Amino acid sequence: MLRVDNITVCYGRMEALRNVSLEVAPGEMAALIGGNGAGKTTLLNAISGLVPATGGAISWEGKALKGFAPDRICREGIVQVPEGRKLFPAMTVEENLVMGAYLPTVRKGSREALAHVYEIFPRLADRRRQLAGSLSGGEQQMAALGRALMARPRLLMLDEPSLGLSPKAAAEIFAIVRQLNQEGMSVLLVSQEVLETLAITVRGYVLENGAVAMEGPSAALREDPQVKASYLGL
Amino acid sequence: MDAVLVIQSLISGIMIGMVYALLSVGFSLTWGVMHVIHISHAAFGLLGAYLAYSLLTIYGIDPVVSAAASAPLLFILACGVYRLLIKPVTKAKEVIVASMILTFGLAIILENIMALIWKADPRIMTPAYASGALILGPFYFQHPHLVGFALSIAGIAAVYFFLKKTYTGMAVRAAWQQPEAAQLYGVNLYRISMITFALAVSTAGAGGISLALLNSFEPHSHNLWLIYLFLVVIVGGVGDIVGTALAGLIIGTITGLSMAFLPFQWVNLVTFGFLMVFLIFRPHGLFKQGA
Repeated sequence: MLRVDNITVCYGRMEALRNVSLEVAPGEMAALIGGNGAGKTTLLNAISGLVPATGGAISWEGKALKGFAPDRICREGIVQVPEGRKLFPAMTVEENLVMGAYLPTVRKGSREALAHVYEIFPRLADRRRQLAGSLSGGEQQMAALGRALMARPRLLMLDEPSLGLSPKAAAEIFAIVRQLNQEGMSVLLVSQEVLETLAITVRGYVLENGAVAMEGPSAALREDPQVKASYLGL
Repeated sequence: MDAVLVIQSLISGIMIGMVYALLSVGFSLTWGVMHVIHISHAAFGLLGAYLAYSLLTIYGIDPVVSAAASAPLLFILACGVYRLLIKPVTKAKEVIVASMILTFGLAIILENIMALIWKADPRIMTPAYASGALILGPFYFQHPHLVGFALSIAGIAAVYFFLKKTYTGMAVRAAWQQPEAAQLYGVNLYRISMITFALAVSTAGAGGISLALLNSFEPHSHNLWLIYLFLVVIVGGVGDIVGTALAGLIIGTITGLSMAFLPFQWVNLVTFGFLMVFLIFRPHGLFKQGA
């Protein structure tokens, strides 16, 4: 289980996150919602080791992770699909996927993993020789998700996977994430599609101005008048 | 115009162009991947040439063997230079400017060390086959030129293979295109930067040896070589291996032809005139991809 305990992240003198705590239980799908600039991406990046957290602790299956470099975090099975996909644009789809299995610990079975990713996303198999930069938004998100699966995650963190996608493509991505979760993968889903996200997750956290404003079962959050007013426009 | 002379100088141009390309490949990579404009790149190439020269004159070791032997040597030396000098600079705000100033100083130091060890006189590489030549009908190719040409093709092919087919090479490209995502999937940027820099320096060594097989050299030759590095990289596109190779060939051909048909003073005028016209129409290089 992932446990973030009271961490603070500063960019220069600005506090991006203040005393944030969060948990993702094994096999659970948790939601992280909140407006622009609330600190959702910063939180994922702190867990991934891309930005340093100052106070508090981050632990994973009882192991302290805070201060680890991103490659160490990835080796622990905590894998992030970053906001905006961040594919390697001048590399082919297949090269992007192969880069997902860059770490020696997952390189060995990468051929089987690649076949599995193509099974999940047949469209990527058709486009394997195409440059990632030439894909449509939906295909790019598939490639980004596929690349993350190549790293064989036990906790998958998705940052705005549906941003800029057509409703159909977004639904497709959500369906696959859901299926992965049902197969046992823990998921931390960051999204602005609050209604959809709270519908498919078990537990949710609402981040506001760098702090956790609310947390609880997703079903309860969906009925919360404050959440309704701020995020659902109801 | 004499057709034989045209073809002969065209081929000579292609040969020297390939050598420029090998010298430039690493320069282009450090620039593209690390945002370090490595001014002492050509000086390291020259150091490779001098090492090969000494191995040849003292021990009779062939320059091709020296190229293979000096590559790991320069690689290790460059790792040290990276840790000591380059890495701190990559944390500066203006990496490009800071790295240029730092490595400019390094180039001067290297030049003076080479002048101390090998003296300021011009040298030529004279391997056993130096006086031999391949004669094909009316065409005439000196053996050292052919060897230098072959060496540069092998060097470029090796770099291309490394970047395309190995995990580390792919990580170099990934780190250049999208450093944050590369880190997320386990690429250690510090390690990749060091490898990129060291690999670049060792290809510079091989390039320097190739060039020394075609031209004479002296401790300040790297200044002129550096200008060609810029020329090739700007035409070929920063970080683009295929573009760099093509640009080397284009520039080699232009200088080859102008050397054959124009008075000496005109050669650089034509070459750099070409660069300016080129920049007006293709400011991002041959294959305009911007970054």
